[in-house]
Formats: sequence, structure tokens, C-alpha cells
Amino acid sequence: MRPPRPARRILARALLGAAALLPPAHAADLDAVRARGSLVWAADQEGGGPHVYADPDDPARLRGFEVELAALVAAELGVEPRFQQGQWDRLPLLLGRSADCVINGFESTPERQRDWRCSRPYYAYALQLVARRDVALDSVEGLAGEGPAGPWRVGVLTGSAAEIEMRRRGDLRVEVVGFDGTVDCLEQVRSRVIDAALMDDCIAWFNADRFPELRCVGRPFAGGTYVILTAPDTPALGAAIDDALGRLVADGRLEALYDRWDMAGRQQMLLLRDAAEVPPAPRSGLAELMRSTLPLLLRSAGMTILLSCAAFPLAVVLGLSVAVGRLHGPAWLRPALTLYVEVLRGTPLLLQLYAIFYLLPKVGLALPALAAAILGLALNYSAYESEIYRAGLKAVPPGQLEAALALGMSKWQALRHVVVPQAVRIVMPPVTSDFIALFKDTSVCSAITVVELTKRYSVLALSSGRIAELAVVTALLYLAMSWPLSLLSRWFEQRLENPAGRDRP
Amino acid sequence: MIDVLALVAVRSGTRILDGVSLGVPEGSVTTLVGPSGSGKSTLLRCLNGLEPFSGGSVTIAGHRLAAGPQPPGALERLRRDVGMVFQQFNLFPHLTVIDNVTLGPRVLGRRPADEVRAAALVLLDRVGMGRFAAARPATLSGGQQQRVAIARALAMGPRVMLFDEPTSALDPRMSAEVLDVIVELARGGQTMVVVTHDHGFARRAATQVVELASGRVQRTGTAEAILGAAG
Ligand SMILES: Nc1ncnc2c1ncn2[C@@H]1O[C@H](COP(=O)(O)OP(=O)(O)OP(=O)(O)O)[C@@H](O)[C@H]1O
Ligand SMILES: [Mg+2]
Repeated sequence: MRPPRPARRILARALLGAAALLPPAHAADLDAVRARGSLVWAADQEGGGPHVYADPDDPARLRGFEVELAALVAAELGVEPRFQQGQWDRLPLLLGRSADCVINGFESTPERQRDWRCSRPYYAYALQLVARRDVALDSVEGLAGEGPAGPWRVGVLTGSAAEIEMRRRGDLRVEVVGFDGTVDCLEQVRSRVIDAALMDDCIAWFNADRFPELRCVGRPFAGGTYVILTAPDTPALGAAIDDALGRLVADGRLEALYDRWDMAGRQQMLLLRDAAEVPPAPRSGLAELMRSTLPLLLRSAGMTILLSCAAFPLAVVLGLSVAVGRLHGPAWLRPALTLYVEVLRGTPLLLQLYAIFYLLPKVGLALPALAAAILGLALNYSAYESEIYRAGLKAVPPGQLEAALALGMSKWQALRHVVVPQAVRIVMPPVTSDFIALFKDTSVCSAITVVELTKRYSVLALSSGRIAELAVVTALLYLAMSWPLSLLSRWFEQRLENPAGRDRP
Repeated sequence: MIDVLALVAVRSGTRILDGVSLGVPEGSVTTLVGPSGSGKSTLLRCLNGLEPFSGGSVTIAGHRLAAGPQPPGALERLRRDVGMVFQQFNLFPHLTVIDNVTLGPRVLGRRPADEVRAAALVLLDRVGMGRFAAARPATLSGGQQQRVAIARALAMGPRVMLFDEPTSALDPRMSAEVLDVIVELARGGQTMVVVTHDHGFARRAATQVVELASGRVQRTGTAEAILGAAG
């Protein structure tokens, strides 16, 4: 069983987390970078090629056109490039802390122009729709019609321009599914968990040979440019990077780089020359922020509740069955059940979710993300619940089973009517506090594209730049949901300690 | 009603029962006496198959038990005809008194619920617990709990009742109220086997007294013959 975590701690952790995310007092500007002798650039290898990815032949080595770009920029600054790994949608938060700049396909958007320092553009992208060859879809506008099963399920990289574009388009009948990596996303298109994916054109080209079952649908559209992000308080570094990019464009090294990567160098140079500037977005007031984010946060809180309330009863029923099987089942079954419990307890929930969502489709069992999340949570927690129930079943005196048997009941009847009901009462407090633990573990499900409260917070905080305010609101929402559960757990405990005095005639 | 033939039970290499034979006629009251550890409880629990035995046989209420594993369902059928009352009552703490009494018939019988309930109330009245029908076991005294346990066993309409030291966990006053109930049952012609240290009860109610020692029947006879004259 897991140690119960008091609800108060969620708030404390959210606040601490928010404090850690605030920009630090001293970011390393150009002088500090030169003195250190290295330019720390941040990217996410999981985001995939052609940007930054682990070399399939030597996974310890990084490859990608941005790896080479970072080396060129660092050389221009007279320092060594040093790579820093981070989760893609959170990379800008590393600026001034563990990274000097972010080079990872970050599109120039009004919000980024407002919150960070954006360099001059280094790549001009457009969005490309990708689908299975056997799916009847021949243009983006086709997404306005009926999908294979209800609305079109379209995968995007969480926080990317593709996601913004898909959510912006009110004319399309799409359900947007957010991924942390393009390869994961394309895998799920291949195994029909989703219908299509929208991504930057260069990513679609790069993966074309890896996924022969997929094809590009229609022409690229809704373009923009990639920029290098630096912290707002390192203006000298930002300027030096702009100068470096300027020299790389002027002397043809950038064009050569794109040609090497089969990314149409000549066309890039023309597009970059004529790229329009993106004006920064205005900063919204607190009331405006709440008006635009609270409905989304509440909806995602609903998802958190749905996940918990669907997964936990399943976990309890499964766990109880496993416990009864281990204590009273046939001898051949017991080692199998012990193995079940140990495997599920001994491996991370995240890994189990990955296995269900990404591996089951390979054997023909493609579950939608929500079903996969509920199943994963239920299986994982069933192992913990079965241990609790085992203790509870053992705590029922053996005389109870004997008395039921002596009446003529079979063992299963005796368990069902006499032993299990008592065990269930005994374990009510630990089971309730496990419910609170599961309730918070639902946030892990964001790894398989389910947008629950924590994920929604993270997306909104990053897009609005209002990390602290939204952290408080999110923490309050969690508290409002978990506090009643804590009270319930305490009430069960008291009732158990003091069972007499009730039901007196 | 009960015939035990050369019963042998071995636990951890020791013969706890070492060739026990005895007969219990219908409508009679047999008390089992003997020193602690002589095998009284083991013998009683072999009669309804709660414990296994390795030799001999038991015939009880028309059911026959041989040594070794029983055919599926055989023990359940036997136990419906053989009630048992335990030293520690073993009432179901999560159920009210009336639900304790009706659980067996509800799970195992085919009669309608209101009929089962009415019959249970009659039984509770018979053991003097009618007005506690809605109470939880934890709120009752030991004597009251044991009387409910008797009603619970009777609810299955058993042809034989087995009692394992039904009053050992009770103080004398509560013992007396429980023994009165058992004596009343005996007068009504209920066949029963009672393990007890209470010689007074044996003298009041026993048709025969069987004395065990080290897993063997030492003596069998009337209460006067085995226990001597009162006082
Ligand atoms: N499962 C077992 N394993 C080992 N020894 C056992 C087992 N069950 C009973 N015994 C032993 O068998 C002997 C007889 O036990 P039993 O409970 O039948 O005696 P009893 O006559 O009912 O005694 P008491 O008057 O104390 O209740 C005791 O010595 C006991 O320790
Ligand atoms: Mg005994």
C-alpha cells in the first residue's frame, strides 16, 4: 500500500513548483557564456527528426539539423556547444537556469515574442497533414466531413503550431490528440488509434520512409518560422545569436546545411529573406486570464474525476478477486496471481501505460487513449488493492468462515456473504486513501495523450506565461476534489474504531 | 442418528483420535467429557466435516463420511442437517441479530424472504432474544450472543445439533440462561451432542455421557455412572 499523502501537500508542492519555474535573478548573458566557454542549448530528443534525435546506430550520439546549427552558432560565438535535454513544451522554462538558448523548432508566435527573446528566423515551415494510405482523405478541408468513427482524431505535438492551428479551426470536425513525440504520434496513426497527424513539413518528409503505410495529404499550409529563444534578460546573447545567424545566411553555410538535410536550401533562403515579423501579443489581465482558462481547467478537472471514478472501482474489484484467489483459490492459481501483483507493483505506472497504449496495438488491440488510461490505472492499482484486501481477509477471524461453513455454505458462499463483507469494512480507510493517491496519479496519463488537470495546467501556463497564478488555481481545484475524499477516509476510520453504540435498538 | 466407527485423526504425527466409536440414538442427548486435550473438540468437528480424519467412518443424519477427501457438495449437504454452536459464538458482526439468523436460509434455502424472517423471529423468541432482532452482536452480552448463535443454527432446521463448550466463555449467570435454552431444546426431542465441563448440565439433560481420554473412549454410561452422585 502507498503511504497516504495529505491533500495539503498538493498545494505546497504546486506552490514550490511554481516558485521553481519563475525566472531566476541572474541569467548568463554573453560575457558569462564566453567566460564559461560553452553555449548550452536545450532541445528534446524525443521530439524526433529531423530536428534533434538519437542516432539509431549509436543512441548515445545526437543527430539532427539543429545539432549542426547549434554547433555553427556556438562556433560563431567562439564557444563549444553543449546539449541540454528537456521536455519540448517546457524547454523555454530552462532559459537562464540550465540553458542559454532553445533551438528546437520553436515557431515564432505572438506569445513567444511577448514572453521570450526570439532570434531572427532560421527555418520557414508549413504544416503537413499525414494519414494512412487506406483512409479516404485528400485535403485538410476533408477534415470538415465525417471521420471513420465520429470526428477525425488528429495527433499533434503538444504545444506546437500544429496544435494551435487544429484548435483554431472551427470549420473542421476534429478531436485533437496531443503527443510528446512525433514518432509516437505517427505510430498511433499507423495502428489506427488516431486517423491523421498534423506536423511541420520537414518532419513529415523526414519520416516518409520510416512509415511507408502513411502518406502526405494535400499541400503544406499555414506556415511560419522557427526562431532561437533566449531569456529576456540576456540581450547581448540574443543579439550575438542574431548576428551569427545573419552570417550563416549570408555566406551560404545555412543553405548548405539545409541541402545536406534534403530540406530545400535555396527555397529556405528565399522564404527566410521575405519572412514577416510577428508582433508580440498583449499581456492579459487576471480577470481576462481566468475567463479564458477557468472553463478549460474545469473541463480537465472533469477528466481527472472521470479517470479516477472509472479506474478505481475496477481496481477494487480486480484487487479483491486477486486477493481472494491468492488466499482461497486453487493451488495452481496462486503463484500466477502472486506474479501478477509483483509485476504490477514492481514496474512504473508510466511504463504500464506506454505498454497498453503503444504495444497492444502491435498485437491488434488498439485502445483509445482514455480506455488505455483507465485500464492502466485500474491494473496498476489492482495490485495495491489486492495487497490491502489480502491483509483485510486475513484479519477476519477464522471462526467466521467456520461458522458459515457449519451452516452448510460452500467456501465461495461463505467468502461472499460472511468473510469478504467484513474484510471490505476493515480495509475501508486504506482503500479510501489509495483512492486519493490514484486520483493524483491520473496526471501520469498525460503521457499517453489524455489531457487531465495537470496537463491542462501545464499547457495553459506555458502558452499564457502565467505560471504562478494558474498553479494556485489548479492546486485549489485539486484540493476541492481530494479534500472530501480525505474527510471520507477519516470518517471510515472513526467508524471502524468505534463500531459499537450504533444500531442499538 | 449418529454412528462413529473406529475414528482415527492424526495431527502433526500424533493420533489425536485413536479409534473412537460411539452411537447416538435419535432424540437423545450425548455429553462428551474428558480432560483438556483429550480430543473432544476434534471428535465433534469430525462429525460435521470441519476437520478431516484418516481412518474409520461417521454416519450422521443419513449422511456418511469416509476417511480422506469428500465428494464435492457432500459436506455442504451434511452440514445443512447438522447445526453447530461454538465456544466463541462466532456471530457475524456485520449483520444484525435477525440477519445472522436468516443468512443461512436466505443463501441456501428456497423459501420466500418474509417466511424466513417470520420463522427466524419465532426462533429468536424461543431463545428469549426476540426484542433484540435489530441489534448488532457487538452490543449484546456473551450469553445473549450465544443464544442468538443457537437460533442461527436452528434456522437451518438441523436434525442434529453439536455444541462445543457453549458456556465456557460465559460467567455462571449467563451460562445458566444458555443452558436453560439447551435443556429446553433437549426436552423438545432435539438430537444433540454437547461437549461440556458442566456436570450439572449432564445430570439434568444427558441421556448418555461419553468420557474421552487421550483420544480414546474411556467410559460410556449414564451421568450417575460416569460422573458419580451430585455434590
Ligand atoms: N491441527 C492440530 N495440529 C496439532 N495438534 C493439534 C491440532 N488440533 C488439535 N491438536 C491437539 O490435539 C489435542 C486434542 O485437541 P482438542 O481440541 O480436540 O481437545 P479438547 O478435548 O477439545 O480440549 P479442550 O478441553 O482444551 O478444548 C490437543 O493436544 C491439541 O493440542
Ligand atoms: Mg475443545
